[in-house]
Amino acid sequence: MPRHAGEWKLPVKLFERMELFISFARNFLTEFFRFHFVMFSRVRNAIFNVVGGLEPLPVLKAPESGSDDRTLGPKFPYSRPHFLQFHTEEEILVSADHHIRPIIVPRDISKLPWNSGYAEAVNAGKSLRNEDQACLRRAMLERPESRERNMRGIRQDLRKMPSSPECMNPATCLPYIYFALFDGHAGTGAAVAAANQLHHILHEKLVDVIDHLLPPLDGYMQLEASTKHGTTFFIPEKAVDNEALITGALESAFWDMDQLIGEDKQKYKVKGGCTALVALFILGKLYIANAGDSRAVLCKSRCPIPMSNDFTPESERQRVRQLAALQPELLGEEFTHLYYNRRPSQRDLGKRILYRDAHMTGWAYKTVTPEDLKIPVVYGEGKRSRVLATIGVTRGFGDHDLKALNSNIAIKPFLLSQPEVQILDIQEEEIKDSDVLIMGTDGLWDVTSNEKAVEIVQRSLDHFPANDKSRLKYRYTSAAQDLVMHSRGKLYEKNWKTADGKAATIDDISVFVIPLAPYKEEYTEWKQEYEAIHGIYETSCETSEGFGKLSLKTSPIATGKAVMSGLAIENSVNRDSLPDSLGDSSASNIPLYSADIALKIDDKTCALASGQDNSVLVIENTSSGDNLSSHYNCGAEVKGTPPSSEKSASSKEGEEDYASVHALMPCTDTHTTSELNVFCQPKDLSQKPNTLTHK
Amino acid sequence: MESQPNKQTGWCNGIAVDLYSGGVGKSCLLLQFTDKRFQPVHDLTIGVEFGARMITIDGKQIKLQIWDTAGQEAFRSITRSYYRGAAGALLVYDITRRETFNHLTTWLEDARQHSNSNMVIMLIGNKSDLESRREVKKEEGEAFAREHGLIFMETSAKTAANVEEAFINTAKEIYEKIQEGVFDINNEVCCTFLLNLAS
Repeated sequence: MPRHAGEWKLPVKLFERMELFISFARNFLTEFFRFHFVMFSRVRNAIFNVVGGLEPLPVLKAPESGSDDRTLGPKFPYSRPHFLQFHTEEEILVSADHHIRPIIVPRDISKLPWNSGYAEAVNAGKSLRNEDQACLRRAMLERPESRERNMRGIRQDLRKMPSSPECMNPATCLPYIYFALFDGHAGTGAAVAAANQLHHILHEKLVDVIDHLLPPLDGYMQLEASTKHGTTFFIPEKAVDNEALITGALESAFWDMDQLIGEDKQKYKVKGGCTALVALFILGKLYIANAGDSRAVLCKSRCPIPMSNDFTPESERQRVRQLAALQPELLGEEFTHLYYNRRPSQRDLGKRILYRDAHMTGWAYKTVTPEDLKIPVVYGEGKRSRVLATIGVTRGFGDHDLKALNSNIAIKPFLLSQPEVQILDIQEEEIKDSDVLIMGTDGLWDVTSNEKAVEIVQRSLDHFPANDKSRLKYRYTSAAQDLVMHSRGKLYEKNWKTADGKAATIDDISVFVIPLAPYKEEYTEWKQEYEAIHGIYETSCETSEGFGKLSLKTSPIATGKAVMSGLAIENSVNRDSLPDSLGDSSASNIPLYSADIALKIDDKTCALASGQDNSVLVIENTSSGDNLSSHYNCGAEVKGTPPSSEKSASSKEGEEDYASVHALMPCTDTHTTSELNVFCQPKDLSQKPNTLTHK
Repeated sequence: MESQPNKQTGWCNGIAVDLYSGGVGKSCLLLQFTDKRFQPVHDLTIGVEFGARMITIDGKQIKLQIWDTAGQEAFRSITRSYYRGAAGALLVYDITRRETFNHLTTWLEDARQHSNSNMVIMLIGNKSDLESRREVKKEEGEAFAREHGLIFMETSAKTAANVEEAFINTAKEIYEKIQEGVFDINNEVCCTFLLNLAS
């Protein structure tokens, strides 16, 4: 609009005054807002600290919270997976040469559990960085109290070796192995954040249920807690198995990860989103949690068994459409939740067209109205299908700020962080040496079918046979490398093509090839040790003539392991003094664990002190019917030294500060605390070592 | 074929190729050059290892990007794809193992077939510190290099003797070719470098 020339002929003085006023107002407002911003960010910092960001909160630099990415720094610097051991930014740059697309494998294969294979290749130039990320961890779940007390011997072990995981006792520590792939899009932020944090979140979730996964002492509850605070141990109404708990840990970790990225967007630069594929080896089973279009395939007896489903707009069309139908406001004015057998155009108005509503799986006719000319919420077929014409994946982390192309419609509501979890019972399965798990991002699977992948892996494995010890460790790395090679292909003129001349992928490719047999072996070994230690506590006790011949019966492995780990001592005196009635053919094969002293408390109960340290095992006779062989249950363990200056048999040194009495009793037992307290009277314990109290 | 240096970084690509069995100390050479250290027991190279270093020629900074490729036949199809972008190569044999020398011809054919015809190739007799166990005379190496138009040098990754020189001389040669316009380098001072070790 043309302005009148006269408007500009204002007196100069007025201009100057206005300028003064404006600058004053600007300064005032700046100060005003700065003050309020400081207050606001303080409050927010406090909230975030409570909510529990994993990292200390940095000082906010920008008044506008989070909306301007350029002013925020990343929470984690861009990097490649730690096991590749890239030390400099230059190495990262070289590895991402888009012309060569080098296939990168770990420099030190022994850094990966079981010499598992990993290989990656960068995209052909669609993004500067490789947007895939990978992570692996071997970790130990540990019961919090295991460091302090509760088990004889273990306590001593811990004193010697304070925090070395190798020495951890299977009774209190549960190992697990975690592999993860994250395929980023629209930036590297979300994938890097997930690769740096998801395993920590998952670890916390697993620690939360450690009492279920690794019961404190099988079947016993902690008396100490129940006497002080009433019944604090929650006994679930429904039987909950470990599979459901681990699945739940994975699911809640995925959810929290996504929430965390959302919160972090206020404080850091977290660009884009990512898919997530996690393989968790725990308690003899393999859990595959997948949210996105990466895939895990089991290669078993040379056959591919899919361990995950791809989540794409195509596969989740129904879910997305149902959500859109329920909440049409999410679609703005441009999209429709309906689905047509072909996209109607202007010319079709008034004509009939086959459509499918959110509540349908088949087709029906409707007359085309202007409403039907909107874009379907999921549009396109196969790899080209998009949600809101924008995004090609429907699950994963991030994308909190993502809007549909050329619109202000948020996409996040249509995305899920929830993984689908599939379980393979490795312990039950017959696992061969060549059985592996292949995990790959969509760069691999776009070109390489499941069948082809298995074929490639088998060829690689055959090339490095298992009996060739010196080269054995390369076999899985070599297989991973061959898989990436197949999907990446070679550059002919300007196109990447596979060996058979088809179009290769131009996407980032990341692959894990994980052997299953070593885990099975590792788990079996751990389980034996675990059961051995628990054998001590779960053992039954037999006697024919009363407490005089009382001994604990346990499995050979259990006794051996228990003795080795200082949980028990073998007492030859006691074993030799066993009457013939116990030394029959079957019983004599079973080594016996005996206590240094046995005490009769009353007709039904006795206590055993097992030398070495000052703990007492309480045995209770529960079966009254069978006179020939009364069965005793290992009723409770009373630990600690009676608070008396009198030297008791079991506390040889007569130490001054006595540990408080911790007792464990069966959950099913009707005995109360008061009864147990009787057992640790000083006088009851003042027996000579290596003798048995006769009836 | 044409050498294609990475335009974004201005790196020079180089490739090291173990001819058939590995163990000539190619990876050690690379480590010595890029990190100035020697690691006696080196893992078998699977696929590709790489290193990068900045050098100065004629007062110009040149970034060397060196690909160190596996010598094993199993990886041949993978390693060949690194030939493509390379401007230079170090062809390395072990002076204490004659068979590594005997395989040079095979490697040379392979490299010439799959790489830029202008690729600068330097022949290197490695492990010169092990004089007592020498199986290949220096003269033989020189003769082979003359015959095939290569530059020649004996090195020791262990004592670092001539390692620096080997890489820099090759880089210089490449740089000259860049100046002559043989390589299309796009303003970036850069050489694609193929470090080739015949074992």
